[in-house]
Amino acid sequence: MNTHYHKQLTLRNRVEELTRVEAFLEELATEWDLPVKLILNLNLALEEAVTNIMFYGYDDEEVHTILIDFTRQDDLLTISIMDDGHAYDPTARPDPDITLAAEDRPIGGLGIFLIKKIMDQVEYERKENKNYLTLNKRIEQ
Amino acid sequence: MKLEITTSGEFKMVKVNGRIDTTRAVEFESAVVSLIDQGCKNLIINCFDLNYISSSGLRVFLVLQKRLSGQQGIFRLCCLQPEIQEIFDISGFSTIFQIFPTEEAALAGEK
Repeated sequence: MNTHYHKQLTLRNRVEELTRVEAFLEELATEWDLPVKLILNLNLALEEAVTNIMFYGYDDEEVHTILIDFTRQDDLLTISIMDDGHAYDPTARPDPDITLAAEDRPIGGLGIFLIKKIMDQVEYERKENKNYLTLNKRIEQ
Repeated sequence: MKLEITTSGEFKMVKVNGRIDTTRAVEFESAVVSLIDQGCKNLIINCFDLNYISSSGLRVFLVLQKRLSGQQGIFRLCCLQPEIQEIFDISGFSTIFQIFPTEEAALAGEK
């Protein structure tokens, strides 16, 4: 059976919007019949990506829109995050050294690394003054 | 997120219920740091009812670890759900922290 689903979520660049990500994913879990563990991981990947944009993407105090596009084609899930913040390629960031002891471990710098570990594929593109971060994940039931 | 704080011998035990994400990490940090400010040196965080953690939450755990080891205190975690344990494993945090399967084991310091 061929399945194709599509859904969108629009967020303002405000941290409170994260509760909407949570609620949206709960809906998605039911509608697309996705396993709980996957939803937890998607929530984490999205939180890390979106908070990066919110905290570092803008210099002004204006309200900006972050558009998140969800597609499911059979067992392949694709999430595309689009924002109009500064050009920033998170995939180019070097991975943290996870073997360091607590005293030597820097505080932070873990978010992007978590996304890369959780998702199967992470791609960045800059088009028409917008950042596009595309995350792929194969659904295992 | 809800926190339940109890005392067990030389330890303060903090039971976290819910999520430690970007919106809740500050509240979690200030609650636990205030325990340390009040003189608590030995701390156990019971994660049985912790069902979500992001890098903001992990950051707080690292802050607490640095803070307590800086004053020769003890910082232990217990009862992590498999999904949470996995995030700790991915981040390399499983080797940084002393993680125990049960409260009793965490109190005794025996894995």
